[in-house]
This record gives sequence, structure tokens and C-alpha cells, in this order.
Amino acid sequence: MWARRYGFSLMSASVLPPSGAALNTVELLRRVVRTFPAGLTTPERLRRVAAVLVVGCVVTAVVSVLAGAARANAVRDSGTRIAALSADAAELYQSLADADATATRGYVSGGLEPTAVRAHYDEDIARAADRVVHAANGLPGGDPAAAQVSTIASQLQTYTGLMETARAYNREGRPLGQAYLSNASRLMSTSILPAVEQLRQGQKAALATAYQRGGTVPFAVLLLGIAVLGGVIDHAVLEQRRTNKILNTGLLAAGLALVAALLWWVVAVIVAGNHLDAARRHSDVAIALDDSRTAVLLARSNESLVLVARSGGESSDQSFTTQMHRVAGWGGDDGLLADAVHSVPASAPEIQSIRTALEKWWAAHRHVRELDDGGQYLQAVASVTGTDPTSSNAAFEHLDAVVHKAIVAERGTFTVEDSRAGSALTGLTVGPAVLTSLAAAAVIIGIGRRVGEYR
Amino acid sequence: MSVVNIARPVRYLCVAAVLAVASLWVAGAGTATPSGAAVTGGAPAPGTTPGATSGCTQTKESLRPMGALPAPGAMPRGSTMAAIAGRGRLIAGVDQGKYLVGYRNPMTGDLQGSDIDIVRQIAAAIFGDPNRVQFVVLDVADRVGAIERGQVDVVVNTFTVTCDRQQHVDFSTAYLAAAQRVLVPINSKVTEIEGLTGAQVCTSVGSTTEQVLRALPIGLHVVSLPGIPDCMVEFQRGRVAAVSSDDVILAGLAAQDPQTKVIGRPLAHALYAVGMKHDATDFVRFVNAVLERARSDGSLAHSDQRWLGVLDPVPQPAPARYRD
Repeated sequence: MWARRYGFSLMSASVLPPSGAALNTVELLRRVVRTFPAGLTTPERLRRVAAVLVVGCVVTAVVSVLAGAARANAVRDSGTRIAALSADAAELYQSLADADATATRGYVSGGLEPTAVRAHYDEDIARAADRVVHAANGLPGGDPAAAQVSTIASQLQTYTGLMETARAYNREGRPLGQAYLSNASRLMSTSILPAVEQLRQGQKAALATAYQRGGTVPFAVLLLGIAVLGGVIDHAVLEQRRTNKILNTGLLAAGLALVAALLWWVVAVIVAGNHLDAARRHSDVAIALDDSRTAVLLARSNESLVLVARSGGESSDQSFTTQMHRVAGWGGDDGLLADAVHSVPASAPEIQSIRTALEKWWAAHRHVRELDDGGQYLQAVASVTGTDPTSSNAAFEHLDAVVHKAIVAERGTFTVEDSRAGSALTGLTVGPAVLTSLAAAAVIIGIGRRVGEYR
Repeated sequence: MSVVNIARPVRYLCVAAVLAVASLWVAGAGTATPSGAAVTGGAPAPGTTPGATSGCTQTKESLRPMGALPAPGAMPRGSTMAAIAGRGRLIAGVDQGKYLVGYRNPMTGDLQGSDIDIVRQIAAAIFGDPNRVQFVVLDVADRVGAIERGQVDVVVNTFTVTCDRQQHVDFSTAYLAAAQRVLVPINSKVTEIEGLTGAQVCTSVGSTTEQVLRALPIGLHVVSLPGIPDCMVEFQRGRVAAVSSDDVILAGLAAQDPQTKVIGRPLAHALYAVGMKHDATDFVRFVNAVLERARSDGSLAHSDQRWLGVLDPVPQPAPARYRD
């Protein structure tokens, strides 16, 4: 009943003339604009000012709710769904690449596949299948990544089928098994892994977008809030001068509520932004380490494949060298490991331990190549498949463990920072909007009192 | 100033609203959502080069051995064999997927087969030890290139003597005669290659069999893959109707899959020989002497019987022919 009591109505009879049939909306608007601020008695004019300020408050409150919700959603989405998907894709890639390298190694060792190698392969495939299901569950309906996940799922079936055929032939001592093995490897490297990589890149981009949404300056809310605040202050000051009375308490309360709402936004965005920035940098490190792990897995796969194919020579080892340089850099301050240190300088000791393990494996690999190119094929195979501490196999296992540990640590830090950012945004959806609504009420009460003085 | 100013708060709000909308619009344009592109990739397209034909048709015979073989470990000074002996091992380009001919035994990891026996005979003649060999597995299409690059000393890999190849490499005398035929499912009604008109027939890229198939005027769809075992995988998955290659190679495939049979007349005849570097005449004569000895002491026939005994008739060692 407030509206009636204080006579609030934008469309009072004096503004709206009896509408003729010919009067269109444009004409109506023009009349409103022309007649709204002119003429009228003082209480009428005060009511209109109040109406304008209340509309401003309400619009600000609505925009604040929408912007706050979008921001909180973006951070929640990045922290849970997208980050999980992106981790799924990375683990999927690594499991699949490792499964393929393991199967190849099981073959190159000759004789029955060692049970440990077979178990390792089975674990890799089980983990990959698990990640595919997990990723499929994390995708909202209609996401373009769904097509990639379904490609991966169906081709993984084909891949394992080819591998089992290869094993069956191997058990019979038939060389056709190798043709199935290389066919499966080709499917993996030319079709399945690229699809996983695409999924990963897509999620990486989505994560970056979410961070951008969560950390930008909230121009819309700030501009509207400042404008309403300016309007309230301007009106209060002008009224004080006009009437020589003390400052209107309603308008003062409205101004304070608006200032509080603006501060809430600024503080929340700054705090969340800091955490998001930290989260983003740790996520960058995790991604660089994921890329590193992928690269060394591909390098290892190549090491085994060169031995299986007995193709030898410089050119077939080229792919190994390329992958290793991608990780360690080409001598300068480049490469994935250097990128990781750039993103989070504190990760330097961790990265250094990876670098050491990498150099050790590289040296072991060079020895393998010397053996093979020197005609000592069996010794080369023994180094790639053996468990001797000086073997290439042992050096690789150590490297992989070190990288994996670092990835898990970086993901942990990322999750913590992301949830801190989420906490900073808690209440941002509702809090400032409630304050702005209170400001609207204060405006109504404050100006209403002034209007009452004219009765 | 005596009237309440309504225009000022309206102006404030209007300016803010315009700016706010503008900021939203800018932010919206800046954060265009990425969309996953379609997955591309797939197996590399199989090659279709049927091999160069320089117009020559007449193959040359090989070179006669010069006297008796030198004793193992005592190669003539400055000869190609002495260089190999100095390295300590023979480098041989072979296949590891042709069952019975040149294949890797998955149980032992060793290479074996009738071609591998020839490599070991050559190694034994140089070193007195048949195991002083480094095997390099070559794609069918890369056999000539591997010799030309000096990557291998010899190629013993169902290497058919052709006039074109003789422009780039030298051959020993032939050690085996083979005939190109066709492998089909055991329940197939097809008895000759003509029954496969319009069907997919697979063979290896850069082989003489590929040229023969492409020259047949009966509308075959020739699919060529890096190796015959790759063809066999496609065949078992039902993607090609038949595999065509030399009878000894097809015998190896049929021995691995009892649900297949070899059919038809010989489409072409092939003579397998050891490939070597062009103009290394001392080495060609040496290898021919090794083959001569293997023919006369029965070890070549024994090797063929051991590996290719499943064939009926068992292929016989080809007689030696020389141009000098």
C-alpha cells in the first residue's frame, strides 16, 4: 500500500493523455520524455525522483544477482567439472599411450608376455575405460566433446580386439600377431590419441574461458551501483541546499547500503581473482607436466617400436629426440619444464628433480641405441624390457613416477586455490542485491517523509 | 535553485545503463566459447605407386664366382667382404612378417625362415659364425633404397630380380623360383583371379606383384599396404576379398589361418635373389659362390624342404645362370 500512500506512480494522469487510436508507442515515449521532468508540484517531482532512484536500485540488484550467479557458476564449473574433465582427458591419454607402449614392450621381449607386463596393460585399459565413463558423465548434454568421447569409446573396443588377436597369434608362435599389434598401434596413434588430445585441448580452452569469466572487473554492476549512488548523493545534496534542512536520513542510509554493496563486490572480486590467478598458474603447471608425461610416454613407445620394427638408425630415433626436446627444451630457456617454472617459480626444485630423472633416462636410451646400432640387439631389448637399475626401463619408471607425483601435487594446489576462490564468491549472488534492495526501501522511506511534509 | 531536479538522477542512470550494456557486450564478445572441432585423422592412405617402369624388360644374369671361397675370417684384402669382416657383423635387410620365409618367432624373438637361412650362410662364409648378423627389417618398398643408402650389405627378402631394380642394385643368382597366386577364404567359389572382378585385392606397396595386378585388364580394385601381413589383417577383418602374392608367401599365410586357400594359375613367375650394392662385383661373385656351395651340398634344398615343405610341390632351388 506504500505506492498508494506516497503516491508513487510513473504514469500519472498528467503524463498520460487520453490515448487516441492513432497514438503510437513512439509518440507516447516522446511525450513521457518531454513532460516527465517539467512542471508539476514539488511533491510530484519528489515522487518522480524517488521512482527513478528506486528503479535504479532494483536494476542494480537484478544485474548483481545475475552477474554474481554467473561468476560463482564459472568458478564452480572450472573448479569441479571442467578441471575434472581436463584431468580425465590427460589421464586417459597417458593410460592409453602407456597401454600401447606396454603391449609393444611385452612383444619385443619375446616369449610369453610376462604376467607383470600383461597386468600393467590390463590396468591401463581398465583405467582408460573408467576415465571415458567419468568424462562422459561430466559432459553436459549437447557438448561438442561428447562426439570425441564416443569416438574414443568405440575405437578403444576395436583396439583391444586387435590386441587380443595379436596375443592369440603370438601364443601360437605365428608372426601374424605382429601385424595385428602394429595395426592396433597405428589405430591408437593416428585416431584414438588425437581424439583424446582434441578433448583435452577443448577442456583447456573451456577452463581458460571460465577463469576469464570469474576474474574480470564487474563493469555492469559497478557502473550501475556508482550511478545510483551518485544519483542519491546528488539529490540529497541538492535537497539540502534547497531546503536548508539536515541531511535526509533515508537517503543517507540508502547511500551507505549502496557503498557496502559496491565494496562487497570489489573485495570479493579482488580476493577471488587472486586465488583464481594462483589456481590458473598451478593448472598451467599441471598441464605442462601432463604434456611432459605424454611426451615421454610417446618417446618410450618409440623406443620400443624401433626395436620391434628392427628398423634401427638415426631417422627412426628422431621421434624420440623430438619428444624429449619438447620436454627439456632445445638448450635455451624453452620446453615444457621451463614453462612450468615460468608459471610457478616455486615449483623449480620439483621441476629440477624431473629434469635430473629425464637426463638419466636419456642417457640410458642413448646406450640402448648404441647397443642396437652396434648389432647388440638382444642387449638393447634387455635394457628396454629389463628391471636392472641401470636399464632404460628402470630409468623410465623412475622418471614417470617423479612426473606423476608432481602432477598430483599441482592438481591438489589447484583445487585448493579454486575452492578458495569459490569461497570468496560465497554470498556474492545474494548479499549485494539485498543491500541494494534495502537502499531502495531507504530511498522510498526517506523521500516519502519529505513528501509527507507537504501535506 | 528552487525546484527539485528530476533530470539529473535520470541522466546518471541512463549513462550508467548504456555503459553497463556496452561492458557486457564487450565481455561477451571476448569470451566466445570454444567448440570442439570434428575429429580428423585415420590410417594413412595406402600408396598407389606401382613402381617406375623404365621400359627395360630383359633382366641380366649374375656374375660367375671367382674360384673357391676364401676361408672364413680370411677375406681378400681391400674387398667388400673384408670391410664387412672388419665391422664384425653382416647387416642384412630382411622381413619379419613373412611366415616360413623371413619371420620373427614370437616365442623366442629370433628371426627365422628360408630367407634367414641364406643370410646365415653368407655370415658363416665371412666370419665362420652364422650369428654375426645385424638384421634390419625393411618395408617391401624400401628394399632398393636401403641398399643404395648403404644401410644394409645385403637384402634377402623375397627380392625378385627385375630389369628396373638392376638399374640400382646388383643381384646374386636366383636361389628360389616362386609364382604369384591368390589367397581367398576356404569357402570361396572363386577359382581364378577373373572371379574377383570388382573386388578388393590386397598386396604390398612397391612389389612386382602390385604391378602385375594393376596390369590385369579385369577391373580389380588393387589395395596396396606396406606389407603382406597388413593385407592379411585387412583380409581377416573382411575388408578385402583376397590377397595376392607369391606362392611361398601365401603358403605362410595359409599355414597361419586354416580358413584360407591358395587358388588359380600362376599370374607371374618370380626369381628371388640376394640384392647388393651396385658394382660391388667382388661381393656379388662371393655371394654366388656361397649359393653355389649351398646348392651342391644340399643345404639350400634342405632349407626349402624344412620351411616350405607345406607347399605342393615343394619349390626347388633355382639353377644358377651367369652372364660371363
